[in-house]
Amino acid sequence: MNAIERILTPENLKFMLLGAKYSLLIAIFALIGGSVLGLLAAVAKMSKIKPARIIANIYVEVIRGTPMMLQILVLYLCGPVITKALFNFVFTPNPVLVGIIAIAINSGAYSSELFRSAIQSVDKGQWEAAQTIGLSYTQTMKEIIIPQAFKRILPPYINEFIVLIKDSSLLANIGAVELLHSAQVIGAKFYNYLVPLLCATVMYLVVTLFISFCARKLERRLAESD
Amino acid sequence: MIKAVNLCKTFGKIKAVDNVNLEINQGEVICIIGPSGSGKSTLIRCLHGLETPESGELYIDDKKIDFSKNNSKELSKIGFVFQSFNLFPHKTVLENLTLGPIKAFGVSQKDAEETGRKLLARVGLADKENSYPSQLSGGQKQRVAIARALCQNPEAILFDEPTSALDPEMIGEVLNVMKELADEGMTLAVVTHEMGFAKKVATRVIFVDSGKIVEEGTPDQIFENPQSPRLKEFLSQIIHM
Ligand SMILES: Nc1ncnc2c1ncn2[C@@H]1O[C@H](COP(=O)(O)OP(=O)(O)OP(=O)(O)O)[C@@H](O)[C@H]1O
Ligand SMILES: [Mg+2]
Repeated sequence: MNAIERILTPENLKFMLLGAKYSLLIAIFALIGGSVLGLLAAVAKMSKIKPARIIANIYVEVIRGTPMMLQILVLYLCGPVITKALFNFVFTPNPVLVGIIAIAINSGAYSSELFRSAIQSVDKGQWEAAQTIGLSYTQTMKEIIIPQAFKRILPPYINEFIVLIKDSSLLANIGAVELLHSAQVIGAKFYNYLVPLLCATVMYLVVTLFISFCARKLERRLAESD
Repeated sequence: MIKAVNLCKTFGKIKAVDNVNLEINQGEVICIIGPSGSGKSTLIRCLHGLETPESGELYIDDKKIDFSKNNSKELSKIGFVFQSFNLFPHKTVLENLTLGPIKAFGVSQKDAEETGRKLLARVGLADKENSYPSQLSGGQKQRVAIARALCQNPEAILFDEPTSALDPEMIGEVLNVMKELADEGMTLAVVTHEMGFAKKVATRVIFVDSGKIVEEGTPDQIFENPQSPRLKEFLSQIIHM
């Protein structure tokens, strides 16, 4: 009891909440970046151009076949080395920024399958009708296919968001400000990890349970409108 | 207007379209009849590039269609109406009509909507412009699909069994719209099982079997005086017309 009062001061709680805010921001930006990459990879996978298919497949297989922590470390520790070799440009990596990019790259590989199956689940007749009224491939994708695929993708997509919130905790290892990192910092300061880690657990759960609650509601709403 | 020369299309071992020569001229109303699986759909789809033939040539207004390229400019001179409507479910009726003109042809939204409304009135659906396809009956959906095809101001419209997915009481309203189009001089090519429509409206009837044009002629010739045994057999089976 004493320990809780001692450790969870308003100041430290504020520090934890700041970490939670960063975790959310990291997940949101990674989700956006991952969507762009995932959509590009999905389109490339379905493309008639063979090199595009090959590149997309390599991307997806490499990312899905290796640990995420490895990907984060490669980008964080080797990023400056690579840019120096290629462009003679050295930078000090910002852990949050590098983390967002690494998670986005990872998420894109997983969501590309999601996008691909949702796009392919749209009736072939929609493509044909679009073709007969003169729409191009890009116009058909944008106006006809993606809006219909979007509805199917939404529930699993929200799930992906929850996964990313949890994945963002890996960035504690490279010292990025986020919830788990905040908990560790406080733990080290007070020689007590139990309280800050429990506090972080509650914060993660509140966020993820709230999001999955919304997802289920939305799913039901979408099912009704069909 | 549309001319197919030695058109062939196979699916695996099946010759769905087998060396077909067909010319559709301005103002003609052509009905394509034949047994199920004879290749009628494949043939009419080839005429709009929805299937790519293996061999043979397709000309639209004497311009040869190169199937390795994008031919949307030539092909959009021809409208197409599907058996299953293929309306865009997430767009309103009016948006279904105006999307092509606005996006593909750069028509202004105002002009496209004006044309769209006029065409909706023409198919008797002026009050439905803000409805979504899911709120319409089958017959209404197909009339919207016809109006959508008309929006691109086509020189001809192709139909693949436009009434086969409809409840019997809705077939008439769709056929009436098509008959009006024919009376106004629109060029039509219609794959159909509606022999009554073929008899009354067609200027030429084409009988297809096993991917080949077996016999063609005026409705009188085809229905009253069939020559080939296969056509006679086909007609004897659908006597209930
Ligand atoms: N996409 C496809 N893949 C494989 N085979 C096909 C495909 N489309 C058509 N076929 C085959 O080609 C042949 C001709 O089919 P098509 O749909 O053109 O016939 P149809 O005359 O329109 O028949 P129906 O009156 O039943 O609509 C059939 O044997 C059919 O099984
Ligand atoms: Mg058919």
